[in-house]
Order: sequence, then structure tokens, then C-alpha cells
Amino acid sequence: MSPADLTAKLEELHAAAFGWALSCCGWDRAAAEDVLQATYLKLLDGRARFDGRSTFRTFVFGVIARTAREARRRAALRRWLPLAALLLGPEAVDGRPDAAAALVRADETARLVRALGRLSERQRQVLHLVFYEDLTIAEAAAVAGVSVGTARTHYERGKAALRTLLGEERE
Amino acid sequence: MIEQAFEALRREDAAGTPPFAATIAAARARRTARPRRRALGLAAAVIVVVAVVVISLRRERDGVRLEIDLATVRWQAPTDFLLNLPGDELLRSVPQLGPRGLDRRTL
Repeated sequence: MSPADLTAKLEELHAAAFGWALSCCGWDRAAAEDVLQATYLKLLDGRARFDGRSTFRTFVFGVIARTAREARRRAALRRWLPLAALLLGPEAVDGRPDAAAALVRADETARLVRALGRLSERQRQVLHLVFYEDLTIAEAAAVAGVSVGTARTHYERGKAALRTLLGEERE
Repeated sequence: MIEQAFEALRREDAAGTPPFAATIAAARARRTARPRRRALGLAAAVIVVVAVVVISLRRERDGVRLEIDLATVRWQAPTDFLLNLPGDELLRSVPQLGPRGLDRRTL
């Protein structure tokens, strides 16, 4: 894929990719932008290369998820090693939805963000990929790096838990 | 219910998506910024390691050493007397045998 093709494809995916980065960073805008920039840099430099085994969308989402995980690991390392801040750059969030960010949202979305924050990371990821990004469960499994069966279990349990939590939030 | 909530979330997030051109430009700017930050960090790490080595070497050189010659130290336990046996001085000394000690009558 030529750099021009790559850039054009990334532009098509940009809004969806930002939404996924937001989810991976707990709806922290600054952290999501940081992760997205790091992801684009990996793709442009060829450190993450599309080999055609999945759809381009699934591939890019997988790179975003990995980059967000790396950012979280760096943040954890930074807590233990003060000198690492110089080497590792800005801090990232823990992947759970940010309570302060939820406050400035509309009621319905704020409720959803709060409820998602109470689910496990895998459940949150699979539900986001299926409902927000319109991926199939198999595609969501590829992005999350789990088997289809595992992704389906996370989907079913997560959906049931989310329905309960949203019901509780309404009451 | 879930679908509608996610749809609303998607619309809200889409409104705040940063422009693609700005994100790509920021990503390209990071390419040049990263090696400088990494070099700075490595330099700081090297300085810290060198400082630790120099300080530890200096301490070793300047420190007062307490040297003990074990050959000159003789320590006695309070219970050493229990090891004394009656007549053990005979075991520690060598009997004198010589012309003075020998008597013709005993031969």
C-alpha cells in the first residue's frame, strides 16, 4: 500500500478510529488524541504493517488497542520509576471512563459512559466494537485479540450487565 | 435501548473529532521529537549511573578501614575452664630425656 493510499484510507476511518481510541482511553480526549497520533505514526513508519489477513478497519483498530495498552503500561512503569518519565513521554489513563468527562456529556450518553465504566475491560471493548463501530463479533474478537467464542461470551454477559446498569441508572 | 445509547454516544464523539490533517501533522511532528526526548532520558540515566559509581568509589577510598589482625587476637570463652583436665599439663609438655635423666641403675 502506497503512503498516499494509506493516508486516504486512514482519513476515511478517522472518525471511527477516534471513537475507538476514546473508548480505549476511558473517554479521555487528550489521551485518545495521543494514542491516535502514535498509531498513525506506527502505520506511516511501517512499524505496523497491514498484511491483508483482516479488513483494514480491524487491523487499524487492533493497532489502536495495542497502542493504548502500551500507553497504560508506560504510565504504570512511570509510577514506579520517576526517571522513566523522561524516556516514555506523557502519561496515559487506565482505560476506564473518566468520571469528569462523563459529567459534561448529555444525560443519556453520560449514563452509558458511567455504566460502561463498571464493566470489565473486555466486555467494554466488545460492546463498543459491536454497537458503536458496527463490527461483527468475529471482527471484534480479532481487534481484542481473543477467540470468537470468548468475544461472544463477553458480548452476551456485557450486554446483560449493561442493560441492568442502564436500568439502575434510570431509576 | 443499548443501540440508541451507543448511537447518541457516537454522534456526540463525532462532533468532537479532531481534524484528520491536524492529527497526521501532530503524528509527523512526534517523529522528530521522540529521538530528542529519548536521548535526553538516556543521557540523564547515564549521568545518574556515573554519579552513583563515582560516589561509591570515593567512599571506598576515603573511608576509615578497621583492620583486625586475627593472629593477634586471643579470645577465651567463659566456659573454657571446663576443658581443663587434671594433669593435662603433662600432655602439653614434652618429657625431657637425656644423659641427666638416665640412670645406670635403671638400665
